[in-house]
Amino acid sequence: MNNRPAPVMPSLATASLRVFDLSLGEMLWSRRTVFLALIVGGPVLIAVILRVVDALNVPAMRVNGVKMGGASIFGLMIWFLFLRFIVPVLGIFYGTSLMADEVEDKTITYLFTRPIPRSAVLVGKYLAYLASTVLIVLPSVMLVFFLVVPIGGGGIAQAFPTLLRDLLLLATGLAVYGALFAAVGAWIKRPVLFGLFFAFGWENFAMALPGYMKRFTVAFYTQSLVPHAMPSDNLLSVLQSVFKDSVPAWQSALTLAGLLVVALALATRAVERREYVLEQ
Amino acid sequence: MTKRTRYFVFGSVTVLLVGLCTGLVAYYTGMPMGAFGQSSALSELRYVPADAAVVAYADVRNLMQSDLRKKLHQAMDDEGGEDGQAEFQKETGIDIENDIDRVVAFMEAGTGTEGHTGMIVATGRFDQGRLEALAREHGGLVEDYNGKRLISKGDIGVPQENGTHRSKSMTVAFLDTGVVAVGETAIVKRAIDRQGNGSVTGNAELMALVNDIDDSNAWAVGRFDVLMSQAKLPEGVASQIPAVKLFSASGHINGGLSAVIRAEARDDQAAQNLRDVVQGFVALAKMQSNSHPELQVLLNSLQLTGTGKTVALSFQVPSEVIDTIAAAKKAAEE
Repeated sequence: MNNRPAPVMPSLATASLRVFDLSLGEMLWSRRTVFLALIVGGPVLIAVILRVVDALNVPAMRVNGVKMGGASIFGLMIWFLFLRFIVPVLGIFYGTSLMADEVEDKTITYLFTRPIPRSAVLVGKYLAYLASTVLIVLPSVMLVFFLVVPIGGGGIAQAFPTLLRDLLLLATGLAVYGALFAAVGAWIKRPVLFGLFFAFGWENFAMALPGYMKRFTVAFYTQSLVPHAMPSDNLLSVLQSVFKDSVPAWQSALTLAGLLVVALALATRAVERREYVLEQ
Repeated sequence: MTKRTRYFVFGSVTVLLVGLCTGLVAYYTGMPMGAFGQSSALSELRYVPADAAVVAYADVRNLMQSDLRKKLHQAMDDEGGEDGQAEFQKETGIDIENDIDRVVAFMEAGTGTEGHTGMIVATGRFDQGRLEALAREHGGLVEDYNGKRLISKGDIGVPQENGTHRSKSMTVAFLDTGVVAVGETAIVKRAIDRQGNGSVTGNAELMALVNDIDDSNAWAVGRFDVLMSQAKLPEGVASQIPAVKLFSASGHINGGLSAVIRAEARDDQAAQNLRDVVQGFVALAKMQSNSHPELQVLLNSLQLTGTGKTVALSFQVPSEVIDTIAAAKKAAEE
């Protein structure tokens, strides 16, 4: 007779942390990391080039003869390269594949047969996504800051509060986009196409429209957190500023937090209920 | 977690922490540029006080060789401009055209009833012995102060705002090889005492404006609010002046002139208001351009830019416009 007690199912938090521990290494050393390194290495390379050009006294980054200060260039890079491109791209490619990779590799069975809640798999993988992207994107922003801000005599001291705000905003953006696309990946087929359409089609289109449509974008709320980070020298930005309808920062933060919780709840619900059929 | 994952996490967190600590130190100590920045190209700025109301610079050699100056020189031939230059050379021994390379000037914030005072630092080639001899001929006093040679002349009448004259002592100081300072004795001595400590190079706001200027052979930056507070304007007028904190004006002069006037407002709202006002004036001026075809190129070149607290207006005056104005002036005189 077997007297061994039945294993106790760990709590959601404990199980999530175990999955996180397992997934972080897998995520960091996967082929996708090469893509991630390239995408965050781009701004660092641009920053190095800008710094070299500035050191050689070659007139660059001028608007109507006015030399742009380092802080302005940094603001542009944060807005256009990181917030409007890198963060959504990482959210799409990592968020949508949290469960899809396990299904594709036919390893999801091993996870689902463990004595842990199914939702812990998604939550743990989501935390691993967040940790790996934050640990790669934020140091990249830090390097860009110290390379770009001193251009034209810009002061590190004055721009430092901006850096803190930008780091917080980027982490928030990664968390929200990741949760949103994790939900998309858990619920629908071809989530990458949907994600690309949402981030680079719908968000740009809705942001330029008058009225309330822009409230159905994530960019609207991130922009409301840093309205001054958005430059106003291209046509789209001018249109956006004409139809400007920003909400207070606390309301944006609350909305983003709500979006994050709802998206994660939807994603875990889908994982709990969905029947995964592995192709032979 | 594998060893290499731990190393990666440790590396990333280290980069973040080092960056944050460096930023924090810079923030709390007020380090303007730090080890990551660049040094100012103008060494003369170390003689300019941190609280200067206006700092100006001119690349005299470049300006003297410019086509615009040649045109003006030709136009002013009949008006005695040449005589003034020769007289200055005779009195001081300095040939503006050939001896001076560049000039940095500043105006201090006025104190009490004395109004604004300033000093000029000129870089070039100066014959110290000849200048001293000339000064002695004109009753000047030569002395050493803090390791620098000073030539002073007292009892020079300085005109005041109320029409009276105030007696002051003027000094020419040899600050370094090829660098002289000209100004009131007290200011020159303060500049020598300063020698970099408490200079404008530590004023991050003004230096940011200075460093943003590029390719200009003449520029000025200053604290607009300080100038306005001492301008003694009527209350009605003062309340109508935009809330501008700092300003800069820079220009590149050769055949024509391309210039940028930039203002840093107190906040984003003030900057937006100023942009709206300037935009209105620019639009009005462009509407008038049909009746003044000679100014059409100038008016069409007006460009208003700027984000956040910055408002910048750039314009170009081509050499043809200057020729047209000179011809019109000549025709009017005839």
